[in-house]
Amino acid sequence: MTPDERRCVVTGLGVICAVGNNVEETWKSALESVSGIHKTTSVDTVNCYADLAAEVKCDTLDNLDAPEEKDRVSKLCIKAANEALADAGLSNFGDDQRVSVVIGSCVGGVLSIEQYHQHGRDASEIAKMPIAAIASQVAESCGAGGIVTNVANACAAGTISIAVACDLIRAGKADVVIAGGADSFAAVPYSGFLSLHALDENGCSPFNRCNGITLGEGAGIVIVESYEHAQKRSAKQYCEVLGSGVTSDANHITAPREDGVCLMEAINRAVKNSGIDKSDIGYVNAHGTGTGKNDNAEITAFKNFFGEDNASVSVSSTKVMTGHCLGAAGAIEAVFSIKALTTDTVLPTFPYSEEQSAALKEKVGSLDFVQNKARHKELKCVLSNNVAFGGTNAAIVFSKVPGEVSAQSAKAKKIAVTGLGIVSPLGNSKAAYLEAVKADKKPESASVHSTIALDDYKELGIKMAFYRKLDNLGQLQTVSGMRALQDANLQVTDDNAKDIGIIVGTSEGGLGATYDFEELIAREGNSQGSAFKFPHTVYNAAGGYLSICSGIKGYGVTITTGPLSGLDSIGYSMNVIHDGQEQAMMATGTDENLPIITEFAQKLGVAATDVVAPFADNEGCVVGDGSVSIMLEEEGYAKARGAKVYCYALGFGHGRKNVKFGKLVGSDEALDKAIADALADAGISASEIDAVCGFANGCKRIDDIEKGALKRVFGEKLASMPLFEVKERTGEGRAGSAALAAAEAALLLSGELAGDNAYFVAADGSVASKKADAANLKKILVISFAAGGSYSAVVFGK
Amino acid sequence: MSSEEMKSKLKSFFMSDLGVDGDVLQFDTPLFGEEIGLDSVDSLEIISFVDSNFGVSMTGVAKENFQSIDTIAAYIEAHKA
Repeated sequence: MTPDERRCVVTGLGVICAVGNNVEETWKSALESVSGIHKTTSVDTVNCYADLAAEVKCDTLDNLDAPEEKDRVSKLCIKAANEALADAGLSNFGDDQRVSVVIGSCVGGVLSIEQYHQHGRDASEIAKMPIAAIASQVAESCGAGGIVTNVANACAAGTISIAVACDLIRAGKADVVIAGGADSFAAVPYSGFLSLHALDENGCSPFNRCNGITLGEGAGIVIVESYEHAQKRSAKQYCEVLGSGVTSDANHITAPREDGVCLMEAINRAVKNSGIDKSDIGYVNAHGTGTGKNDNAEITAFKNFFGEDNASVSVSSTKVMTGHCLGAAGAIEAVFSIKALTTDTVLPTFPYSEEQSAALKEKVGSLDFVQNKARHKELKCVLSNNVAFGGTNAAIVFSKVPGEVSAQSAKAKKIAVTGLGIVSPLGNSKAAYLEAVKADKKPESASVHSTIALDDYKELGIKMAFYRKLDNLGQLQTVSGMRALQDANLQVTDDNAKDIGIIVGTSEGGLGATYDFEELIAREGNSQGSAFKFPHTVYNAAGGYLSICSGIKGYGVTITTGPLSGLDSIGYSMNVIHDGQEQAMMATGTDENLPIITEFAQKLGVAATDVVAPFADNEGCVVGDGSVSIMLEEEGYAKARGAKVYCYALGFGHGRKNVKFGKLVGSDEALDKAIADALADAGISASEIDAVCGFANGCKRIDDIEKGALKRVFGEKLASMPLFEVKERTGEGRAGSAALAAAEAALLLSGELAGDNAYFVAADGSVASKKADAANLKKILVISFAAGGSYSAVVFGK
Repeated sequence: MSSEEMKSKLKSFFMSDLGVDGDVLQFDTPLFGEEIGLDSVDSLEIISFVDSNFGVSMTGVAKENFQSIDTIAAYIEAHKA
C-alpha cells in the first residue's frame, strides 16, 4: 500500500462551466444529459462556418477583490477555487508556505490582449494577459504562500496541474495544493480552430460524427491534500489521487499520432505509477474532443492498452456538455471523474441514434462507450486523460483505494548537469557566450534580442522542412535545446527517447504570438485566422517543437510563472528524476523580445531608456531575451554513457509572500525563505555558499530585494561574496536569464569559465564590481523572482 | 494577371507566410516532398490564400493539384471565373 506520507487525497471540488456555475448544478446537468452548447453571443461570427460555443452564464464573476485587475480567466478560476476551498473547509492561509497553487491554462488572459489591442493600448491590461497571472491571483485571493505555478500545456494543462500537485506533495514540498485549470472563450481560439477547420458547425459529437470540436470555457479546481494533513484536520476525503503519466508524441504540432502509442504510454505510466491493475479501472473520462484524428487515436490507444485485461471498460467524453474548455478541460473532467467515482456513476456522451450506436459498436468492439444516459456502475478507480497541441499526452488515476504509488524512488540519486545550450543576444551557442564574457560584452541598446541564423540550423542538421514552421520563440527553444543535447553528447534513439523529458520554463510564452494573431483577426475578421500561426499562440508550442526536432518522447511540460520559471524548470526536473519518472531531463528557460514585448515593458515603466548595469539604481532595465537549456541526468545514467559532468544540482527552494500580480515590492522576505528552502534541500548551510548568480537587472526596486535578502542570509560574508549578474550582458530576458544564471554557475564550477565580472555589496549597501576568479568556487546559489511575490533558488555544487 | 505573375505571387506567399526558403523553391519543386515538407495545416493556408487572392475555391480538391506552384497555378487558371 502507498505509505501514508505519499498519499494524496481530494478534499474539495469547485467548477464553473456552461452547464453549471458550481459542482451541484454541473453534476445535475451531467446526470440529466444537458448540453451547454449554444449559438455564441460573445464573438463576431460573420462569414464563419461555425457559430456554436459552450459559454458560461454567470453574473457574479465580478464579486471579488479588484475585478478591474483581473482577466475573465482569473475570475472563473477564483470562483471555482473559492467553491473548492469552502468545500474543503479551508480559507485564508496567511501566506502559509505549505500551501501551493498549480493552475493549467491554454490561452490565459487572451481577452485582455484583445482589449489592449482594440481599445487604446491601456497599460492596465498588460498584467492581466499572461497565463502566469492566474495562479498568482488565486494565491493572492486565499493567501497561499507556497509554490505558485501555471502549467501551460494547452488542452492537457488541467490534468498535468493535478499531477504536478501530487508530485509536490509527495516530494514533501507542500501539504495542500489548489490545483486545476481555467480558460475563457475568446476570438483568438475561436478563429484559430476555425482556421484549422476543426470546429463542428453542428456541435461536437465525440466518438460519433467526429466532425470537430465546440469550444467551451470555465474552470475546475481540485483541492489536493496530503493524506496526513487531511487526517490531522479531520477533513472530508473524496478519494485518492494515484499515479499520473505525461509523455510527448514528438510528431506534429497540432495533430495527435494516429497510432496513439505515446498516449498509450501516458496511460500505461499512470496505471503503473498507481500500482494498480488495468482491470481496476472502471471508467475512463476520455479527451474525446470530437475530431476524427483525436477520437480515432484514443480508441486505438484504449483498445491496445486495455486489451483483453479490461475489454469492457466504460468510456465517455463529457465535452458534449461543457464544450472543449482547453486548459480547463482536464480539471473540469477531473471533477466529473471524481464525482463519477464517489457516486458509482458513469457519464454518457450524447446524442446517439440507434444507427449511430451500431456504428460505434463496430468501431470500438467490446469497449463500453456510455451513450445518452448516465448509469450506475460500481467503481474502484477512474482514469482521466487529455492530449494537447505540442504533442502532449497526460493521464491520471483517481481511486477509492490507496494503491501502491511509486514516488521519490530515486531520491537518493545525485543529479548531474551534463549539457548546456545557450541562445542569447550575445550569440547562439555556449562558445559565443564564453567569448562574450571574455570580451566583457554589454548590451548595445536598451532593447536587445537573440537572432537565429540559417547557420545555426545547418550546424545542428535541422532541415528547412522543419525550421520553416517555427515562430521566434520556437526558434530560440529549438536551437538552445538541440545545442544542449549536442553539448551533452546525448543521442536520442528509439531506445532512450522515453527516458528523457523536457520542462520548458517561460514567463510570457506565446504572448507575443497571441498578440500577433489578435492583430491579424482584428484586421481581417475571425474567419481569416491563420492555421499556420495559430499553433504558436499556445505556450507549449516551443517545447513541442523541441520534442519533435529531438525525438524526445518522455515527460513534457511547460510551466509559466514569470522569470523564475527558468529556475523552476530545474527544480521540477530534479523532482521528476528523483521520482524515478525519467533518467534525464532538459530544463529550459525561454522568453523572447518581440517589439510588442518591449512596448509592454515601456508602458509598464520597467524599460530603461539607455543601457543600464545591474545595481545602477535605475527606474528600468534593458529588455532582453534568450533561451537556455540545461541537461540534467541521474548521475549513474550520465556516468554509464561517459558524459562530462559540469556540476551537480543539489537543491531547489521556493518562497512566496503575496503581493498583487505585476508587483514585487513588499515581498522581500520570501526570497530569504526560498534561499533557506534550497539550502535545506541541498543539506548545506549558508556558510558553504561561495557565490551567487543573481537576478539584478539595474531596476532599483528589483535589485534592492536581492541585496536585502542576501544581506540578511549571508550577513558580513556578503561583502566578500561575488555576485555574478548575467543580465549585465543580455538584459532582462526573464526565464531565459534565470536559466542563463544557472548555466553561468555550471560554467564557473566546471572551470569552463575561469572567472567573470562580479558585484560586491558592502556593509553600507554600496556596490562595486571587479573580476572574480572561479577557481575556488565549490557551491553557487542561483536565485530568481516572479511578479506577485514568488522567488526560487537552486544550489549547484562541484 | 499573367501565368508568370500568378506563380510569382504564389511563391512570395510560400516564402512570407509558410516560411519556405526562396532559394530552393522553383515553380516545379514538390511542395509536399521532404525538402519543403508542407502538411495538412499548410494546405489550409494555401486554400485560404488562393480563395481570397484569386477567387478560386480549392476546398476538397484532389491532392495532385497541390503538388507544386505549377499545378496550383494551372488549377487556378482552369477554374477562374
